[in-house]
Amino acid sequence: MTASTFQSLEDVIRDGHFPDTDLALRRGRHIGRDDGAAYEFLVDAADHLEPFYRRFGCELVQRSDGYFYLLPSGDKLGRRHLSAGEMLVGQTLALLYLDPSTVQHGGVLGRETLLQRLAGLVGTESLVRTLSPRRRKFDERVAAETVRTQVGEAVRKLADLGFVDVVDDGRLRLRPALLRFAEPVRGLEDPTRALEKLVIRGEVILGDAGNTGDDDSTSDDEGSP
Amino acid sequence: MDSRDPSRLVAALARNQINVDLKTVDLCFLAGLYIRADRLASFEEDMLVDLFEQVCDVVEPGAENPRKRATHAIQRLREQRMLARVDGAGIVRAGEYALTRLAAAIVEYFLADEALTRESLTLLTGALRAQLAELLAAAKRAQTSEAWKQSVIGPLRVTVGDLVQGIERRQRGLDAQQEEVQAEIASLLHADWFGAVERCQSLLDTTTTTLRELNEVLLRDTHHFVALLQEIQTIATDAGNAEAEEAVQRVIEHVDRIAAWGAARQRAWSDYYQFVHRYLRDVVRLDPDRALSQRLRAQIAGWTELPFHVLVAYAPSIRLLRPLEARVDRPAVTRARADREPDPSIVAPEDALADLEALVRAALADGAVELVDVTGRLLGGVRPELRYAMTGRIAELLARLAHVKSERERPWRTAFERIEIEDWRVAPRGLRR
Repeated sequence: MTASTFQSLEDVIRDGHFPDTDLALRRGRHIGRDDGAAYEFLVDAADHLEPFYRRFGCELVQRSDGYFYLLPSGDKLGRRHLSAGEMLVGQTLALLYLDPSTVQHGGVLGRETLLQRLAGLVGTESLVRTLSPRRRKFDERVAAETVRTQVGEAVRKLADLGFVDVVDDGRLRLRPALLRFAEPVRGLEDPTRALEKLVIRGEVILGDAGNTGDDDSTSDDEGSP
Repeated sequence: MDSRDPSRLVAALARNQINVDLKTVDLCFLAGLYIRADRLASFEEDMLVDLFEQVCDVVEPGAENPRKRATHAIQRLREQRMLARVDGAGIVRAGEYALTRLAAAIVEYFLADEALTRESLTLLTGALRAQLAELLAAAKRAQTSEAWKQSVIGPLRVTVGDLVQGIERRQRGLDAQQEEVQAEIASLLHADWFGAVERCQSLLDTTTTTLRELNEVLLRDTHHFVALLQEIQTIATDAGNAEAEEAVQRVIEHVDRIAAWGAARQRAWSDYYQFVHRYLRDVVRLDPDRALSQRLRAQIAGWTELPFHVLVAYAPSIRLLRPLEARVDRPAVTRARADREPDPSIVAPEDALADLEALVRAALADGAVELVDVTGRLLGGVRPELRYAMTGRIAELLARLAHVKSERERPWRTAFERIEIEDWRVAPRGLRR
C-alpha cells in the first residue's frame, strides 16, 4: 500500500467526502482532477476503496489520464450502456480534446464546433439516421432540429457522467475522461482485437445495443452482459 | 476619469452618427505622419501629399493617380477628425495640418508595445506611491477649499489618474500578449506536435512567472495605495470636503480594479496552464506520432458499421416512499334533485298578423287610400320595437288587399315618428276579395 492518510476503511467511510463521492461513482460519474477534493480523496483512499467496491461486484478504475470511475462486472450494482447519440458525441468530443486548436482556449469549445465536427465526421444523413432510426422520411429543417436536440441531450448526459463540464449555454469544457471513447484505438494493436479485450473487461458492449430514437436514451443493462 | 452618463454619451454618439472607417493605406499614412510628428509640429499640404504617395508606393504599388487619391485621403481623414487644419488661412494659401488626439491614439495602439512588465509596473507603482505620499502631506496642510482643489483634487484627477490609467493600459496590453501566447502554443502544436513540447512548456513557464511576479507587486503595492488613499479620504471627511472625498473614492475604485485584474488573470492562467500541461504530458508525449487522432477519426467514421457502447455504473437514486395515508372515500359529486321542467300554463292565443290584416281592412273600409295614412293609423297601436317590422307588413297587406296605383315618382313621407316610407296610393273601395 502507498502512503495513505487513511488507516482503515472505517476512516475512509467516516471522511466527509465519502458520501458524495460514493454516490457520484455509483451513478456512473468519472471523477477527475477537475473535481478537486473528490479526486484527492479517491487518490488517497483508493487502496481501501478498491476491495470495498469489489465486494459489490465493481472495479474502481484509476486511469493514468487522471480520473476514476466505477465499472460494475457483476449483478449487484446496476449499469447502463451509452446510447448511440452519446457514443457519437463522446467520440467526437474525444477527437476535439486531442485537437491542438482546443488547447488555445484551455479545453473550452462551443457547441457549434461540436455539431460542425460531428456532421463532418459522420455525415449529416448518417447522423440523422443514427440519432432517429425510427423515422423513414426526413424534412431537412425538422431533421436538423432533431439532431441539435439529440446532441444537446447527449451532452447533458455526458456532463452528468463527468466527461465534460457545461460552462454555459453555448460552451463546454472537455475533461480527460473523454479518452475512454478513444480506448479501442489507443494502443497500436488491431482495433477489433482491442475492442474484444475491452468487452472481456466489461468496459464496452458490441453491437447495436439500442438507440436514442425519439425515446429516452437511457438503456438499462442490469445484470451480466 | 469620465463621469458622464453612459446612456447620454451613447445617445450623443448615435445622434451625431460618429463612425471611424480607416483603410490600411489610411492607417499607414497616419503612422507615417505620427513618426514624423516627432520632428514637426504641423505638415504643409505638399508634404502630406508627398508622404501619401510614398505610403501608396509601399501599400498599393502601381495604383493610379496617387495625387488624386492623396486629396481624397486627406479629406476623408479630416472628416473623421484624424487630421485638423491648424493655419486658419482659409483659401488664401495651402493649409497646414496636424494629427488630432484621436489619430495619435489609434496609431499609438498599433505602434506601442505597452505590455505590463515587472520593470514597468514597479516604476509606475513607485511613482504612484510617491505621488500619493505627497498628496497626503498636501491634504494635511490644506486649510482652504482652494488649497484642497489645487494641491489635492487636481493632482488626484490628473497625475494619479494618469498613472493608474497607465497601469490599466499596460494590463490590457498583457491580456493581448497572453492571447498571443495561447494562439502561438496552439499553432506550434499544429505545426510540430511532439517537437513543440519544449517550446510550449517554456512559453507557459515564462508567462506564468510574469503573471506571478506582477500579481505579487500588485498585491503588495495596491495595499499601500489604498491605505494612503483612505488616509487622505479621512482628512477630507474631517475637513468636510465632499469633492475631495469623491475624487479619492474614484481612485480607490480604480486601484481595486487593478488588484482584481491581477487575481483574476492569475486564476484564469492557472486553469489554462494546468490544461496545457496535462495535454502535453498525457496526449502529446504519449502519442509522439500523432497517430491517435487519425485512428480515432477512422473509428468514428466506421462506428455505424461496427458500433460499440461504453458501459457505466448506473445506480438509480434511492427511492423515497411517501408517508402512509389512510384512504378516504370521497363522495361523488352530485346535484340537488329538483323539478326542472315547469308545468305548461294556458295563455291567450296570439296572431299578430291576423290582427294586423283586420286593422288594414278596417282602415281601407274607413276610406284610407294612401299607404302613409294606413301606416300612420296602425303604428300608433304597435310597441315601439315592432314598428319597423310592422311597417313592411302593413305595406305588404295593403298591396295584397287593394289595387295599388303605382306612380313613377313615389314621394318619401313621414308615416310615424322616426319612420319615413315611399308612399303610394290604392284605388278607393277597391278592396280585393
